[in-house]
Amino acid sequence: MTRPDRGDADGKPRAWGVVVALAGAFAGAVAWSVVTGPVPLSLREVVEAFRHVLATEPSRSPAARVVLELRLPRALLGALVGGALSSSGVAFQALLRNPLADPYILGVSGGAAVGALTAALLLPADASLPLPLCAFLGAALAAAGVFLLARRRSGVSRERLILMGVVVGAFLNAVIMMMVALSPPGKIPGAIYWLMGDLSLGTLRRVGLLVPYVAAGAGVLFLLSRGMDLLLLGDEAAFQTGLPVERVKTAVYLTASLLAGSVVAVSGLISFVGLIVPHGARVLVGSGHRRLLPAAFLMGGTFLVAADILARSMSASGELPVGAVTALAGAPFFLYLLRRNGGKP
Amino acid sequence: MDVRVVQPPARIVSLAPNLTEIVFLLGRQDRLVGVTRFCNYPPEAARLPKMGGIVDPDVERIVAARPDLVLCTTDGNPKDRVKVLEEMGIPCFAAAPQDLAGVFRTIEEVGTLLGAPDRGLREAASLRARAARIAARSGSGPVPRVLFAVSTSPVIAAGKGTFLDELVRTAGAKNVAASHSGRYPRLSVEDLVAAAPDVIFIASMAGVERFSPDVTRWKEVPAFRDGAIVTLDGDLVTRPGPRLVTALEEVSRALSAWRARREPGAGSAGAARVRGWTNAAGVQRAGAAHGERRRR
Repeated sequence: MTRPDRGDADGKPRAWGVVVALAGAFAGAVAWSVVTGPVPLSLREVVEAFRHVLATEPSRSPAARVVLELRLPRALLGALVGGALSSSGVAFQALLRNPLADPYILGVSGGAAVGALTAALLLPADASLPLPLCAFLGAALAAAGVFLLARRRSGVSRERLILMGVVVGAFLNAVIMMMVALSPPGKIPGAIYWLMGDLSLGTLRRVGLLVPYVAAGAGVLFLLSRGMDLLLLGDEAAFQTGLPVERVKTAVYLTASLLAGSVVAVSGLISFVGLIVPHGARVLVGSGHRRLLPAAFLMGGTFLVAADILARSMSASGELPVGAVTALAGAPFFLYLLRRNGGKP
Repeated sequence: MDVRVVQPPARIVSLAPNLTEIVFLLGRQDRLVGVTRFCNYPPEAARLPKMGGIVDPDVERIVAARPDLVLCTTDGNPKDRVKVLEEMGIPCFAAAPQDLAGVFRTIEEVGTLLGAPDRGLREAASLRARAARIAARSGSGPVPRVLFAVSTSPVIAAGKGTFLDELVRTAGAKNVAASHSGRYPRLSVEDLVAAAPDVIFIASMAGVERFSPDVTRWKEVPAFRDGAIVTLDGDLVTRPGPRLVTALEEVSRALSAWRARREPGAGSAGAARVRGWTNAAGVQRAGAAHGERRRR
């Protein structure tokens, strides 16, 4: 993955065709998610519901409320989270020139988890917004901390970023274990589910709050896509091309961290998506970031929405944690995709 | 487990709160030399020496207490630690009642074991009579749909095969979570809306007594609309001990209150519910059919 796509002479029509197909799958997954659920509604009722979009809450029929206030926010949340984590994963893999990098590698997850547990322990159980807020603050603090620790006058080296990220992550993991061990029983069950990844926290308001963050984050990364192509060549070579290497690295790092932090704050720690979807997307469209980023966003969103549909409907014993389903159902699929590619990562 | 005690034990260690309660019920508390840190009822139990927890009993402490009988439960106590105690020659008696009848039987068995067989039979008979009174009363009137929540955020309900399910059924209600296959299914808000419980019980543990406003704003759920949410002491309903009958009585009382409200002329709540939902494209009826499909 470390070399830019040889066929990166841009007008590669097949690859853009794949992006369009992925966009279709993305929309299809969201639509499928909206028509499935425990309240049995006919397709017509679901379509009808969208006529109520502009109606205020009390005048909506119960069927419309189920569709617009429960299913739609959840589907959109899954799409946003999956897309954001995959984009962030692409950025981290380019920044660190490491195929094992994912959005959580540099302590974002640990910081968010400490923030979420702090909220669960210190705030009353029914104060629902502060948990995402505290999680986001924790993620942002951890990301900033790792960056400041890794920085030297000469700039930020990949090795120091990884080292500091791993050390800070290990420290935060220890804090998490202490908090779980020392907390009174019954105080943090909600937080435990959050740690496993949980899309049920989606409400229209939260999705609305999240949209600008994800749009801005994914947009900035897209603008940096040429920079990321060059970063894959190594700092020296990238510098030779006239790229302001340190500034690009800083921008990629902060954007990708905040993008991951903002979605993790709402959805909890959904694993696997940010690590493996970038590889899957690379198999389909190559490693030029201008195509890879949109492809990974669409593929990640599709994948997470599909995993959530499975998590909700696979077992009759209630919902499964979507974070477990992503790896359980996703691993075989991506293994197939990667193997089919003839072992070329 | 095969236990032979030649004479009634004089030094007893109990490794489960429900067994501790049974020893007190039998009037043998003066022989208890150790309990778990969760044994808080009756209040005097909390003052007895602690032998660790349920899943982490402290073997060395137990041995040091020189018991001639250890009461343990297969629902929680680790087998290997109990085995260590047995190998050291300490008689261990395991009881893990799975339903009300099991609790009554356990009281009789422990009574025999502690040299108080008559007391055991008497206490068990009195509890049986109380439970039978509830069951007899529950036969008439409309059948409320009930959800028993053991956690409110996320919503986790007691399903088939739990004590809570038995309490709900014995009190003459339908447990809406029984259509899920697991013992403690996790429910989404949409599951709740589809299940439409009339009454919701919460087994309260520290910190999780209330539903979040994001959940309770679904007034399509009759229990939320009518405020029919009853909080019960979590210890009462999760311990297979004598107080399970007290829990049954409290559940039954809450359901009687619900039935009284639904009597014709006692308010329009019931009628409003049917109207509200049937107008909504038959969601309520379809929901019930869906439940049946799941059970099959």
